[in-house]
Amino acid sequence: MEQPSEIAAEVPRARDRSMVSLPILAFLSLVGGQLPSFSLSANLYTLGIGGALVWLGLSNRVPRRPVARRFWPGAAWWLLPVTVFAVVEGTTFLLGSSRNYPTFSLLADPMLEPELARSAVYFGWLAAFWALVRR
Amino acid sequence: MSTRLLAIGGFAVALLLFAAVEWCARREGSRIPTFGEVCAYVMRYEVGQVPVGRIGVFGFWWWLGWHFFAR
Repeated sequence: MEQPSEIAAEVPRARDRSMVSLPILAFLSLVGGQLPSFSLSANLYTLGIGGALVWLGLSNRVPRRPVARRFWPGAAWWLLPVTVFAVVEGTTFLLGSSRNYPTFSLLADPMLEPELARSAVYFGWLAAFWALVRR
Repeated sequence: MSTRLLAIGGFAVALLLFAAVEWCARREGSRIPTFGEVCAYVMRYEVGQVPVGRIGVFGFWWWLGWHFFAR
């Protein structure tokens, strides 16, 4: 049976409630936080979870939040932080991404080495991904 | 001031600006959309039947996670 192109549900089903989704995301994050960078397991795990979420987000199997069909006049304010970030990231990248010209990911790498911090950031990534799937 | 500190300062300013705009967007009667609303607006973009906006946003977020956690 063909899936409807857009599903908007004001009352989420039980599986979408935060009491269900948050512990699942926390468990996945704790596992992901144990896997070291550059390892095959980390690659497969991240690509697998991301692929599953992309599939869920594109297949209309998860109820989505209602979207306001308007454009906000103040949306241009978002260009300010995006531009500042892009200029610094672009400049440091073009200058070689070294100790003197560190890109954002170069600065973040040491902070992501402890497993607890890695799991916490992993949780943020997954929670935001899940929020995007529901949009 | 070293270039390293300058870069760190630049990233810090960008992150503070992200937080400040989000805070302004969440005020009562704000004309600024939240970051989630901006994402939802971009994700509505379609070319024919192809949800280009959703594919683009999902693809970027997927790559970002792989970039930080797998390599």
